[in-house]
Amino acid sequence: MDTVSFYLPYLINGVTFGLLLALVALGFVLILGVMEVVNMAHGSMFALGAYLALLIVSPDGGLPQQFGWLFDFPLSVRLGIALVVSPLIVFLVGMGLELCVRRTYGKDHLYGLLLTFGAAFVLEELIRIYWGSSERFLPIPAAISGGFIADGIIYSVYRFYAAGFAIVVTLLLWLFLERTPYGAIIKAGVYDSEMVRALGINIKVLRMLVFGLGAALAALAGIAMVPLWGLRPHIGLDAIIPAFVIVALGGIGSFWGAVIAAVLIGAVTGLTAAFHSGWSMVSMYILLVIVMSFRVRGLSGKTSSLE
Amino acid sequence: MSEVSLAKQAVLNEWNDTMKKAGSWLPKEMIGVFLFFGTMPIWIEDIGLYQYLGLEFVILIIYALGYNVLLGYTGLPSFGHGALFGVGGYAIGIVQFEIFPNLWLGLLFAFLAGAVFGGVMGLFMSHRRGIYFALLSIALSQIIMFAAMQASDLTGGEDGLLDIKRLPIDLGFLEIDISTAERFYYFVFAVFIIVTVFLYRLIHSPFGMILKSIKQNEQRAQFLGYNVRFYKWMSIVLSSAIAGLAGGLMAMAQEAAFINVMSLQWSGTVVFITLIGGGLVSFWGPVVGTVIYIGARDLLGLHTEAWMLWYGLLFMLIVMFKPEGIMGIYQDITAGRSVFSFRKRQQKAGSQSGE
Repeated sequence: MDTVSFYLPYLINGVTFGLLLALVALGFVLILGVMEVVNMAHGSMFALGAYLALLIVSPDGGLPQQFGWLFDFPLSVRLGIALVVSPLIVFLVGMGLELCVRRTYGKDHLYGLLLTFGAAFVLEELIRIYWGSSERFLPIPAAISGGFIADGIIYSVYRFYAAGFAIVVTLLLWLFLERTPYGAIIKAGVYDSEMVRALGINIKVLRMLVFGLGAALAALAGIAMVPLWGLRPHIGLDAIIPAFVIVALGGIGSFWGAVIAAVLIGAVTGLTAAFHSGWSMVSMYILLVIVMSFRVRGLSGKTSSLE
Repeated sequence: MSEVSLAKQAVLNEWNDTMKKAGSWLPKEMIGVFLFFGTMPIWIEDIGLYQYLGLEFVILIIYALGYNVLLGYTGLPSFGHGALFGVGGYAIGIVQFEIFPNLWLGLLFAFLAGAVFGGVMGLFMSHRRGIYFALLSIALSQIIMFAAMQASDLTGGEDGLLDIKRLPIDLGFLEIDISTAERFYYFVFAVFIIVTVFLYRLIHSPFGMILKSIKQNEQRAQFLGYNVRFYKWMSIVLSSAIAGLAGGLMAMAQEAAFINVMSLQWSGTVVFITLIGGGLVSFWGPVVGTVIYIGARDLLGLHTEAWMLWYGLLFMLIVMFKPEGIMGIYQDITAGRSVFSFRKRQQKAGSQSGE
């Protein structure tokens, strides 16, 4: 077997993983870039979204009796419903959290981080109370699960669907931010919030909506990710740490910086796994430390008040 | 005024001066804290708790006091000190098993291991501030955690490093056994006194003043001619060394060293403790914070499994309404200020959100 065909499957796995990581980080990047809040509860939103999906998709997910009719629908329809309902609920939770975070505006950025860190503990505990601590699995329709063999190597089908989903959501978010008036308002709010207010736009509501959007994105990422990761109450932590690394590597306030960083991290962890599986997760931290030693603000970060 | 009363006055003045000097060495808060924890083994069982908890109290306070030098006084939010706490625990065990079983050597290594690992972390972090500092501290502590997991020959990997002994105090001519919980408590308490007095003096020394000036305005401190990066690095190393020492003591208390203390949760816990107590405004904040943390865990834990929920909510409320923490409330009360100045803060927030 020559070198290319040896490394290719690792690279493919890594890049698909990286695309999913980009999806995990997007909401985090959005809230950090627009509101300058390090949302430590992002991981909990991720977990909450996944658990809410479990409620709708899995018969033993803990859904109250009166919604039992939901399970007359086939699995794929229920997954579709979950992809809409769960982010919507998490959207509302995110807006609620913004009402708390609001009190930290204008103070040290550390307070926003700490407040959301507390919120992460609260959300994780709530999840534990309702769903218990044991590991759960989100069932996925047979059409997008299973595996296929190419060139003598088994690939998981779901990985490719999930990566495709991640690309679609990423592009939609980019279009929303760059090609719609709403995106223009959000970006203008970062640039000069006073002028935006003077134009008659309610900046308080805008911030609430952006926070909600970031949370909803976390929920979407959660649903896409958990068929690969499994579901535990502390899964939020597994999600937030890569999001940190991505943001620091890509640079705060840079959309494509984050996406590139995520794919890069995926590729690096994937390729490291070819040599030593135990070191594959560490390689992303080492990558971060190397990049940050040479580029203070990551790959394409701008000067920010967060420093 | 007669000569006698003048002489009395002079003596009195001199006494006052001496007391003032002694006061800066031994403030009344410190005496209170020492009395509280010094007598703890006597009354802790009467209030329904157990002896081991006292150990946890004092060790966590050592850890948090050291951490507060970095967070409260230098203004650097590290979320990676759990790794250094863990390194200290492994150092105690490794010295005992691989080098030479001696208490002093073990504690020295725990202290140095914290300092060395913290020093290397500091090389990457000491020119950063704020969020980037926090993110880098997370990344670096994760590297240490994974390395510890991989080096399972030395650290025991996920099983932990078991059978760590509480070695006797070796004074050369005399060996004092400290293997029981109560005796070990008094040993840890002695370490606690040394660390507390040392840190208190350090914070009130010119070095401590420089750290505070860096927290207030890094650029200004730089312009005054201080090597800001060096002082930040020193602050990281110092707090790391004390984290290592505390981790070593904890490993002796548990008679084992585990990997989970290196996780982000544990690193976050010390930030919680320091902030809730009011480490940002008072040297004694971490002490109060530890009492609240362990109290919440053990007292709420008796009634509900979900004590983290209530603790997390308390934390959120404190960050939202009184970020200066419990010591902030205490200081407001003693200074006769109103504790919650809602209107003032709302005005402030209103004017600042428009920036």
